Amino acid sequence: MTATGRLNWLGMILPLALVLGLELWLRTAGIVTDILAPPSQVIVALIGGLLNGTILAATLKTLTGAFGGLLIGGSLGMLLGIVFAVVPVIDRAMEVTVEALRPIPSVALLPVALMVFGFGYGMEFAIVGKSCFFLMLILTRSAVRGVEPRLREVARALRLSRAATTWKIILPASLPRLFVAFRLAASLSLVISITIEIAVNPQGLGYAIMTAQQALRPDLMLAYFVWIGLVGLCLNAGLLLAQRTLFGRAALTEEAR
Amino acid sequence: MKSVMVFTWAGRAASFAVAACVIWIWQMVANSGAISPLFLPGPDKAWASLQRGFASGVLLRQTFGTLQHMFFGWLVASVLAIVLGSMIGMYPTARRAVTPLLEFLRPLPASAVIPLAIAFMGLSNGMATFVIAFGTLWPMLLSTIHGFSSVEPRLYEVARALNIGRLETIRKIVLPSALPDILAGMRISVTSALILSVVCEMIAGLDGLGHYIMVSARLYRSPDLFAGVMLLGAIGYLSSLVVTMAENRLLRWRHRGH
Amino acid sequence: MTEAPKFAFASATLALGGKTILQNITFDIAAGDFVCIIGASGCGKTTALRLAAGLYQPTTGEVRLDSHPMTAPRPDVAIVFQDYGKALLPWRTATGNISLAMEAGGVPKAERGDRIAELLTLVGLSGQGEKYPGEMSGGMQQRLQIARCLAQNPSVLLMDEPFGALDAMTRQGLQDEVLELVARSGTTVIFVTHDLEEAIYLGDRVIGLLPHPGRVGIDVPVRLSRPRDQLTTREDPEFLRLRRELFDFIKGSEA
Repeated sequence: MTATGRLNWLGMILPLALVLGLELWLRTAGIVTDILAPPSQVIVALIGGLLNGTILAATLKTLTGAFGGLLIGGSLGMLLGIVFAVVPVIDRAMEVTVEALRPIPSVALLPVALMVFGFGYGMEFAIVGKSCFFLMLILTRSAVRGVEPRLREVARALRLSRAATTWKIILPASLPRLFVAFRLAASLSLVISITIEIAVNPQGLGYAIMTAQQALRPDLMLAYFVWIGLVGLCLNAGLLLAQRTLFGRAALTEEAR
Repeated sequence: MKSVMVFTWAGRAASFAVAACVIWIWQMVANSGAISPLFLPGPDKAWASLQRGFASGVLLRQTFGTLQHMFFGWLVASVLAIVLGSMIGMYPTARRAVTPLLEFLRPLPASAVIPLAIAFMGLSNGMATFVIAFGTLWPMLLSTIHGFSSVEPRLYEVARALNIGRLETIRKIVLPSALPDILAGMRISVTSALILSVVCEMIAGLDGLGHYIMVSARLYRSPDLFAGVMLLGAIGYLSSLVVTMAENRLLRWRHRGH
Repeated sequence: MTEAPKFAFASATLALGGKTILQNITFDIAAGDFVCIIGASGCGKTTALRLAAGLYQPTTGEVRLDSHPMTAPRPDVAIVFQDYGKALLPWRTATGNISLAMEAGGVPKAERGDRIAELLTLVGLSGQGEKYPGEMSGGMQQRLQIARCLAQNPSVLLMDEPFGALDAMTRQGLQDEVLELVARSGTTVIFVTHDLEEAIYLGDRVIGLLPHPGRVGIDVPVRLSRPRDQLTTREDPEFLRLRRELFDFIKGSEA
């Protein structure tokens, strides 16, 4: 849990105290409420949901929505980011258009997507895609631009064509930073897809947690809350692990900003 | 030098020309009727709706509502992040105690807290403030902690050698040192504050552009919908511009020299 | 009876984390003396300077200033750090950085302006008061740090390899400026360096430390006339003899 790899016992105290405190408080005060549930009941609800498959089915739908959008928007964004970085004239010409569209909050397009696609995966792909597209575009562009200038000089000295330079020098050199961009886009895709489901789209984890709240099932609602946290944590940890295994510490420099 | 200047101006002009072209194509497509005007109104109709909305005061009120939600949630999170972040950042033991909890909360999609907030506070403005504050707190807190924990050790020695007291050291050395990280966190959070405002307004029907565009879509009033979306884009652009400008102003020393 | 020394290390020993860094360091420094400390890397010369500054406390023994033990940093002892880039506040201008020392010393705001201008001129930075450290060269930044230290009106100036990171020309210029400043004010100086020639050129006395643990190995007076000159002093037979002696000492300490 810590950077040193040792288990951080001190860090376990706070979460455990929160959980135990909530449990004891609700049990001893005998509070029965439709907004909070003791952690023991939350665990029961979580296990129940996992066993009967509803949680996993919802997770699958959410991840499909997230990764579908990531695949469509992210790959388009990466492609265009490379083009923008390699051909500065295009980048310059598109600047105003990109800067005008980028700040539109992705969820503002929800009603538009709702009118065009109706409920279902379509709207999720579109909106997750919009978010991932611009994120990948910007990060890819700066990743490719950030390639050590000396390498570009090497390519010129070797008289490589622009295509060969891009393919053989620039892309491999920017690969670690491209993976960081992908990792950030993947985290974002999960956040956006759950947001869409909470707001309008009747499917997946977001809809399930909303339904649990409306059905006055605080145990189930909190179970979904914990589960969503775990899914986010696992996705993040998995991608970080992949990044470390693939690129070592080289890629971590990008994270500061 | 001169050729660079020419290129910059020509580039800027070309860039605006391309944007104008995109709007023109949008107009042409809308005029042709290939896509039903129910889904795609022309820029002329969207613009007219924008003007109408401001003339009647409706859009002004909705814009104000969204800005209010954004600002209050963001403000609460900023204050909390600075107060907690400074305490956690300056004491390694405190840092070790809270890091695992923060690591769990950071990747948690902020909108997942909406149902909890509704359960506690109902469909109110307080709910929106809570959700926005919750969602923007973690990035700001982590960034602030980083700022306070990475003060150059040599500066602490300078403070001791000059006999500067504890409070003065915090005010004159630690706080300015951490400022770049604090401001970076605040800048990043503005974007999430806007997204969460829109979502809360949609779900809870609170006064604001999020609610306005949702209702416009339900009633198939697409010019109003597009006007709202354009306005939200403007808010997104201007809010990060304002924060970036404030940041550059406060961190002038970073941008001068090498 | 001679008068009490300005500064004294009296059997000072420092252990950090169970490891003895400095052992039984003893020497006196007379007021107005310029003493250089040399030694192979890892001999604890920088640590000795932090003891002198009151930033560390000796485990046993004492460090005394005017016969009083140094138990904490004192306003009349100023320290110039080697890494000027880290020791200056990047968000304050040159004026603001010098002002920091005056704020700490409780100098009223009204009196600061003139004194700052005076100090800037003294270190050759007149007219640069509104620049940020980031806009200055390494040499200028180190001048600024020296100005901040002079703002404390120190009776003892501690310098930790202050010119180690500068190029040769800048270094020689600053050496002469420091000698001139010190000659005018009569400040006592302890100057840590790994450059033997620099130590001989600047000092009235050179103390050499032996490593593991750090202890005094050699203490030689420098009998070279002042003012010193970058060309003639360095060609003086006495200079060359001292250089040989100290070179052999360092070689011997590493063996």
